Amino acid sequence: MSNSLKTSRRTFLKVSGTAGGGLILGFNLYSCSTMPDNPIFSNLEINAFILINGDGTATIKAKNPDIGQGVKTSLPMILAEELDLPWEKVTVEQAELDGRLGSQFAGGSTGVKTNYDNLRNAGASVRDVLVRAAANRWEVNAEDCKTEDGFVISGRNKLHYGHLAEEAAQLELSEAPPLKDPQDFKIIGKSKSDVDIKKIVTGQPLYGLDQEVEGMVYATVLKPEVFNSTLTSFDDVEARKLSGVIDIFKIDAMDNPVNRVDGVAVIAENLWTAFKAKKLIKASWKEPKGYITSLKQLKGDFKKGLAAKGEVLRNDGDVAAEFQKSGNVIEATYEVPFISHSQMEPMNFIADVRENEVFLVGPTQTPGSANALASRITGIPRENIQVKFTRIGGGFGRRLGNDYASEAVFISHKIKKPVKLVWSRENDFLGDLYRPAGCYHFKAAMNGTEVKAFDVNICTTSRYLYRGGSPAHGTEAFPDQQPAGMIPNFRVSYSPLLTNIPVGALRTPGVNATTYAYQGFIDELAEKAGMDPIDFQLQMIGDEDRDMPYSDHGGPTYNTKRLRAVINLVKAKSGWGQVNREGISRGFAAQMVFGTYVACIVDVRNISGKIKVDKVYITADCGRVINPIGAEAQVQGGVTDAISAAFYESLELQNGKPQAQNFDQYQKLRMKDSPEVDVSFIANGEAPQGLGEPSYPILFPALTNAVYKATGKRVRELPLKKHGLV
Amino acid sequence: MAIYNITVNGEQRQVDVDADTPMLWVLRDSLDMVGTKFGCGIAQCGACTVHLDGNAVRSCSIPVSAVGEAKITTIEGLSEKGDHPLQEAWREHDVPQCGYCQAGQIMNAAAFLSKNPNPSDADIENATHTNICRCATYNRIKAAVKTAAANM
Ligand code: FES
Ligand code: FES
Repeated sequence: MSNSLKTSRRTFLKVSGTAGGGLILGFNLYSCSTMPDNPIFSNLEINAFILINGDGTATIKAKNPDIGQGVKTSLPMILAEELDLPWEKVTVEQAELDGRLGSQFAGGSTGVKTNYDNLRNAGASVRDVLVRAAANRWEVNAEDCKTEDGFVISGRNKLHYGHLAEEAAQLELSEAPPLKDPQDFKIIGKSKSDVDIKKIVTGQPLYGLDQEVEGMVYATVLKPEVFNSTLTSFDDVEARKLSGVIDIFKIDAMDNPVNRVDGVAVIAENLWTAFKAKKLIKASWKEPKGYITSLKQLKGDFKKGLAAKGEVLRNDGDVAAEFQKSGNVIEATYEVPFISHSQMEPMNFIADVRENEVFLVGPTQTPGSANALASRITGIPRENIQVKFTRIGGGFGRRLGNDYASEAVFISHKIKKPVKLVWSRENDFLGDLYRPAGCYHFKAAMNGTEVKAFDVNICTTSRYLYRGGSPAHGTEAFPDQQPAGMIPNFRVSYSPLLTNIPVGALRTPGVNATTYAYQGFIDELAEKAGMDPIDFQLQMIGDEDRDMPYSDHGGPTYNTKRLRAVINLVKAKSGWGQVNREGISRGFAAQMVFGTYVACIVDVRNISGKIKVDKVYITADCGRVINPIGAEAQVQGGVTDAISAAFYESLELQNGKPQAQNFDQYQKLRMKDSPEVDVSFIANGEAPQGLGEPSYPILFPALTNAVYKATGKRVRELPLKKHGLV
Repeated sequence: MAIYNITVNGEQRQVDVDADTPMLWVLRDSLDMVGTKFGCGIAQCGACTVHLDGNAVRSCSIPVSAVGEAKITTIEGLSEKGDHPLQEAWREHDVPQCGYCQAGQIMNAAAFLSKNPNPSDADIENATHTNICRCATYNRIKAAVKTAAANM
């Protein structure tokens, strides 16, 4: 067990009434129905994750931020499973930033995968001390005790956890407690609805925007229309005339644009006044050097980027020699646009900077970084900074950055009052960290149905370069991405492009673009080979079971047997090649994404030149599934989100200004464009992987490959809207 | 600022706000009823949907001064115990992902079902097309509205 999960001393958080543990010492034998709920205490902390109540129920801490990926439900399920407590007896509570809980973070579909073992251990260690407490009391061996449904049982002795918690809290926790045989799982693998469902459907406060603190004022910001412009001056005379306006001042950029850029803060007694006052401010901005004024200009830059000799990331065999001797060379260029996160809950954060302490609450995927940033801004030590995080109205990678929290801290620090900062939707489009735009040039040499050489040259607006990290190709180009290792001559090159457009991580960063491009091009090769696209990919993958080295996220290897298995299942499920439905054209794509294997078949109709997605079949192998109902939702959501992006989404620029600053101009997919998504899983006992992202990238190529079948048009540049196809 | 008397979930409420303050912010910031959500502020997304005399409206785009005698119902007042057939169906189908849009989705669907208790699939699609779900829970929204209609 990692150090972070070790607990120090256990303490009562709340004790109500008289401590009742002693009252039951005399009773060792009860039947379920006559057992009194005697111990009158609640939230007795046994370890940092689990607090036991006197009535035998437990409060379980949800360690990570929930952005809609369901970890507030699935991670506590793992704890409850090993604690061996029925789910009905569990209350889940959102943890705050707490060093004892390990890394608290939402990103990269890592929540379940990186916490599974630790949380099993943490749950089992509590079960283990409860068993030992019972054994001590009954003077029997711990080995002769078992647990069932929140009771410890030995022979005719039976007590629920509430009777044993106080004694258990005195015992040392074991670092290697016995774990359940997965065959005995009662919670993992069974569908549990979201722990917040009742609150969500009745409108109870849950999100950052719903929070308030005593004495707070409201704030919003004015942002420049050309990204990363600097504020030169502003006139706030009219704005200050509005009653309820408290203050207006400049927000200073920090050293790194992902931490904060220039803006004007408007502080008011209520949010509506702040929004109105913002519109009355006249600000002058100076555009940054070398800014992108139009997508046409960007296209030119990509061309130059591709022409420049990029860094070679992988070079197997000799592609150039193969191209020279081959009589069958195919080339194609794919392109993806900047797209917005447009997470449903606009950015917001509450900061209360006091003399030597800070209180923060809000929606962030990285509460630890928010803490560090607040410390840098205020000079107040990190241990004096409390960070609470809320349920989050969508993340998709946008809230990995804490620029908005940084603004709230800056404002509160300045006005010496608690402040609730809220961005308008327009702020959100002007302050997003967009999915990087990119360009992918492919060249392949074929001999019959065999691919002899494969060369891909990539140029993107690198997010690592933007934020000053390295390497520039990180999350932009993946040297081991399939079909690397399956073709003898294989080269991947990369050139980064730095622009003023803010870029960041969006649902499967980089992979969402490369998967579209690679799998689209492979479909072109299948056609050249005169083969069925599925047969062609299976031939390329080969019959042998191999662990393919994969140096990026999801590695260190992926397995070709598992990849073939998802392909074969989705093929069977969809009746590919067997069932031909009138008017339906089909496209296919498959790949390992972040450790999860996904294969997808999209059925489309061509209705007078417009594409309608009829149905999507997708099979995923993410190892053990923790919460099936949540898992299915993630896959459906990812697929449908990708249809939205593929159909409509692109950040359009005019004179450097985004043309869309709200949903009237930036179209999102709605009900009538949303097809049925048929999700299947390969049930196996493999280690669990993430699911919040993998279904997203695979949809793009499966869709555009279907569009080709339906229209004869290869969509090598997204979105479909650009081509009049939707 | 001016005093407005409005009826929210059957109760008379008094607020002192600017005449142009949208109902959304009156509900959220003056009355502390935060179930109604802010998504776009320009009547595009439907996150702020409430009922005005039983009709689904976008509270971000209705100033408090325009409400008058009309009765406002919010997600908090849709049912006493949170057991409106739509709320039950949402639980049964585990519709939400992030959940942020869902109060608006439910309020929109509730107004629709009250007028069309036996909808066809196409009716449901048309009626729910108005609201964006960024997490794209559309399959389950549709299924849940169907279930609710059957149970009403
Ligand atoms: S917030 Fe009112 S429709 Fe979007
Ligand atoms: S559930 Fe997240 S926006 Fe609908």
